[in-house]
Amino acid sequence: MGRQFLAARVLQTAEARLTKGGLRIPTIRADVFAPMKNGPETAPAWLKAVAKVAPSETLTRPYPVQHTERRDRKSGRKLHPHRNMFRPTRIVHPEDELRRDFFRDHPWELARPRMLLELDGQDARHRDWSKGLRQPGMALSGECVVQRQLWLMENHGLSKQAAYDVARKEFYHLRHQEEVERRLAVEEARMYGAYFGQDYNRVGMQLEDAAYERWKKWAGEQIAQIDLQRAEAYSSVVDEAEEIEAAVL
Amino acid sequence: MIVRNSMIRHGRRAVAAPASQSCLRSLSSSTPRPAAPWQTGPATAVAEPPAELASAPTQTSAHSQSFALAQAAARKAGLAAIPSNHAEYERQRSLTRPLGSRVTSRYHPDQDLVNPPHDVTLEMLMAAQSHMGHHVGQWNPANQRYIYGERAGIHIISLETTAAHLRRAARVVEEVAYHGGLILFVGTRKGQMPAVVRAAELAGGCHLYQKWVPGGITNRDVILANGRLKVVDERDRELPGFEAHLRDCRPVVPDLVVCLNPVENYPLLHECGLAGIPTIGVIDTDADPTWVTYQIPANDDSLRCITLIAGMLGRAGERGQARRLADANDGICTWETPREIATFIRREAKERAREKEAALQEAAEQGLLDDKPLTREQFLSDEELLSEMTDPPIAPNPSSPEA
Repeated sequence: MGRQFLAARVLQTAEARLTKGGLRIPTIRADVFAPMKNGPETAPAWLKAVAKVAPSETLTRPYPVQHTERRDRKSGRKLHPHRNMFRPTRIVHPEDELRRDFFRDHPWELARPRMLLELDGQDARHRDWSKGLRQPGMALSGECVVQRQLWLMENHGLSKQAAYDVARKEFYHLRHQEEVERRLAVEEARMYGAYFGQDYNRVGMQLEDAAYERWKKWAGEQIAQIDLQRAEAYSSVVDEAEEIEAAVL
Repeated sequence: MIVRNSMIRHGRRAVAAPASQSCLRSLSSSTPRPAAPWQTGPATAVAEPPAELASAPTQTSAHSQSFALAQAAARKAGLAAIPSNHAEYERQRSLTRPLGSRVTSRYHPDQDLVNPPHDVTLEMLMAAQSHMGHHVGQWNPANQRYIYGERAGIHIISLETTAAHLRRAARVVEEVAYHGGLILFVGTRKGQMPAVVRAAELAGGCHLYQKWVPGGITNRDVILANGRLKVVDERDRELPGFEAHLRDCRPVVPDLVVCLNPVENYPLLHECGLAGIPTIGVIDTDADPTWVTYQIPANDDSLRCITLIAGMLGRAGERGQARRLADANDGICTWETPREIATFIRREAKERAREKEAALQEAAEQGLLDDKPLTREQFLSDEELLSEMTDPPIAPNPSSPEA
């Protein structure tokens, strides 16, 4: 395997077969793919189509899109003749830093489930970050905070820290609302007769109890083992007084 | 229906059978009672057929006459109430129309199978995850021209490049279908069967979703010996008389192969290269772009992306087939008869002529031929002969089925 060139040359090969003396018979499979002896062939059905729509250029490497300035990448380094100049560059967005900061400060927000499936790809048309954190068709998450923060930085001219404070305060308010709603919903459900499973504290205590029982069993086995060893040790010790008595008697 | 409505509103008595004759005779001498209010209800438009009343017996004519008058009045009132009823109905509709939610479907998993698109947008390609390449370390540097950049440890395929290459491939599929070519859609990965079958169905081609048997092109006399072939005219109608040829002919090769996972189909693509068959393939960042003639740089690991691409190519084939058949109906055939079939037709004609000649010879030897065969003047009537001489010649109609 490796680079193949037959696929790119199908048109030239077919045209050569059709012209008299145009095709030099290839060395491989000459028995199968030799041109027919009894007169001219008909052109294959794809010939006009492929002649009309030429294949695109392959194998050449254009200069890639520079998503960041070369000076910004590695600081304190002289700009030598462009090393790896054809390597695709890293895509960077201004939101990346904001996301990093937000999720470093709120790691448990990463535990919230996220929907990865996109609908028609036109979500951006329904977003208006001037209106706040809640957007139609989008769950409240750290991404909302980041986008709101960026909008405030770009449209209201706030600094990164100031915009972060404004956006995250709105976020805390909304999360607090959600918590209250959840607590009230549980109370209402209990009033109507619902019952819930164990909460995390209870599950944790059960796990601790089970671990303690396992430890107790292990400890008992260890104690029994130590006692056995001690008994063996004493049984092999020879009491000199007893021996002398036995010898005398 | 009208009788049932009035029964529901007014009760059984409204549509009760007419009173017995004895009752009616006693009633006829009394003063005619005014019509009951429930018989002239303004809200309902009750239209009773007058035919029933006309068939009432003559003894009850007086009662039936007043009844008929009441019915007519009720009908008139009902008809007069129609405009106000309709206005009220429209008012209710206008009040309630903006209520409720507008449910629109922005995505359904089967949308690209049931109704594939004719053209894609960059947003559609991104939503179908076609920009996600493989890990940075696993790339094939020959694909550098298709890559937009690197992010999250993977290469991101440029969607503009994907769209441009996909449209180019769609043009090839459409043109090959227009020129009567046979297109083979191949997709051997798990989950690609519905996309492959649908694309082949739209484009009038063939599909393959299981392993390509090596030798299907180079050793097709053995591998494809059991396939059924047919000979068709420019309107895709099967032609009789080619049974002898179909018994002896070689299996056909496709004119274009569309491969949705070229990384796993190297034998097929190699055979196509040997046989000089153009190929279209979905090239991911770790695939070799030289294996196919037309590359479509996209994510071959995403079923949604593959289904979208296969759907668009199937639609292109469908357009090509429609154009070809439309031109055939106008008398333009966009393809040439293949050489083997032309040879067969010529040979058959020669064989037929030779047999006819031999039969004539034999008949002449056995003395069965007429010494004096009939001439045209003898078996055509005078009118037919006259019309033959004087009428203008009949031009062959290109749109007739025999042409």
